[in-house]
Amino acid sequence: MAAASTAAGASVTLIAVPVTLISTLIATAASHAQEMPGMPAATAPSPGVLIPRIQMRAYFLEDDQFLLEENIRLEYGLARDLSLSAEIPLYQGFLDDPRPSDGEFGLGDADLLVELRILRDDLNAVDTVRASIFAGAELPTATDGFATGSLDPCVGAVFTTISGRHGIDLAARYTLVTGDGLAAPIFLTDAGDDFLNLDAGYAFRIHPAAYTEEREPAWYLTAEINSVWTMGGEHEVLLSPGLLIEAPTYALEFGCSLPLSEDLDAAPRLDFALLAGMRLLF
Amino acid sequence: MNCQTLLACAFLAALPCCATACRSAPRSSPAIVGPSSLTAGTYQLVVHGMSCPKCISNVELQLTRITGVTRPVVDMKNGIVAIDVTGGANPSKDAIANAIADSGFTLVEIRGGNP
Repeated sequence: MAAASTAAGASVTLIAVPVTLISTLIATAASHAQEMPGMPAATAPSPGVLIPRIQMRAYFLEDDQFLLEENIRLEYGLARDLSLSAEIPLYQGFLDDPRPSDGEFGLGDADLLVELRILRDDLNAVDTVRASIFAGAELPTATDGFATGSLDPCVGAVFTTISGRHGIDLAARYTLVTGDGLAAPIFLTDAGDDFLNLDAGYAFRIHPAAYTEEREPAWYLTAEINSVWTMGGEHEVLLSPGLLIEAPTYALEFGCSLPLSEDLDAAPRLDFALLAGMRLLF
Repeated sequence: MNCQTLLACAFLAALPCCATACRSAPRSSPAIVGPSSLTAGTYQLVVHGMSCPKCISNVELQLTRITGVTRPVVDMKNGIVAIDVTGGANPSKDAIANAIADSGFTLVEIRGGNP
C-alpha cells in the first residue's frame, strides 16, 4: 500500500475542508435520523431544517491504487415529508495512468434529489415504518477523469422500518446515463451504461438496550449489502459492516466495504474501502 | 440539449408538482385525545415513532416554534414529551399535532393541563 502512505500526507487538504465547514456550522448542531452509513433511509429533515453530512471514503483498489473521496451532502426540508438534497464528491486520485494519478484532485458528478415520504406509520413509542420515493439527477459537475460529466436522471425508492433495537433499510435506485462514459472508468457506474443500485441494511442498537430518561447516544452495529448492476452486464456487490453513533446533537458513522462479487470490465477492482462520516442538523 | 436531457429536466420539474398535488389531498388522521386548545400549564404529549436520539432535537425544535410553548423535554423511554404552556397564546391541539408531524412523528394524546 505504498500509494496509501503517499496519500496520507496529501489528504490533509481534503480533511481541512470538512473541518472548516463543521467549525463554521457547529453552533446549533443536532443529528439526523437512523440512517446507515452507505445507503439512503426513508428519513427526511423537518421543514426549514438543514442537515449537512460529510463522509470520507478511502478506496483501496487493485495493484496498490488508491482513491480518496470526500462527500459533502446538504439536505433541506422543503415541507413536511418533502426534502431536497445536494451531494457533491471531491476526489483525490492515486491511480494508474490514464486515470487521475499523483494525488490529482477533482470533482465528481453532483447528485440533486427530491425526496417525498409516502408512508409514515408510527406503531408505538419507538417502532415505525416509513417509505419514500425520490428522483433527481447526477449533474455534470465532474472534472476530467473523475466521473462521466453528463446529466443523468435517476429515480428510486427506499423503505425503513425500526422495531425495538432492530432497524432495516431497503433501497433501489435506477440511473439513466445519458453520456458516453469514461474511457478509463474509476467505478463501474462511469462506464456509460444505465445502472441499478440495490441496497439492503440491518442495524442493531447495542447501546442502550432500552431507552431511559437520560439523553445518551445510541450505538448501532450496521451491516449493509450494497450492489450496483449495470445494463452492460457488469456488477459489484459489497458487504459493508459499520458502526453508527447517534446523539441528540450529532451522528458519527464508521464502516468498511468488502467485495462479495465483482464482474467488472474496465473499472479497477476494489480490495476494500474505509468510511468515516459525520451528520449534523441545523 | 438531447432528448434524454430534456426528459430528465421535465421529470425533475414534474416531481415537485406531483408532490404538491399529493400533499393538497385531504389526509385522514387518527383522533388525538386531549383538549382542543392548551391553556397555561404543564402537559404531557404522547408521541409515537421517536426511534432514535435525534428525535429529541427534532421534536424540541419544532415545538419551541409554537408561541406559548416552552421547555419541551423528551422522555424516549415512554414516548412522552413534556411541555409548559405559558402566557395567553393558548396553542391549539392542531398546532401541536402539526409540529409533531413536521418533526416526523405522530401525536397520539395530550395529557395534563388545568381543566
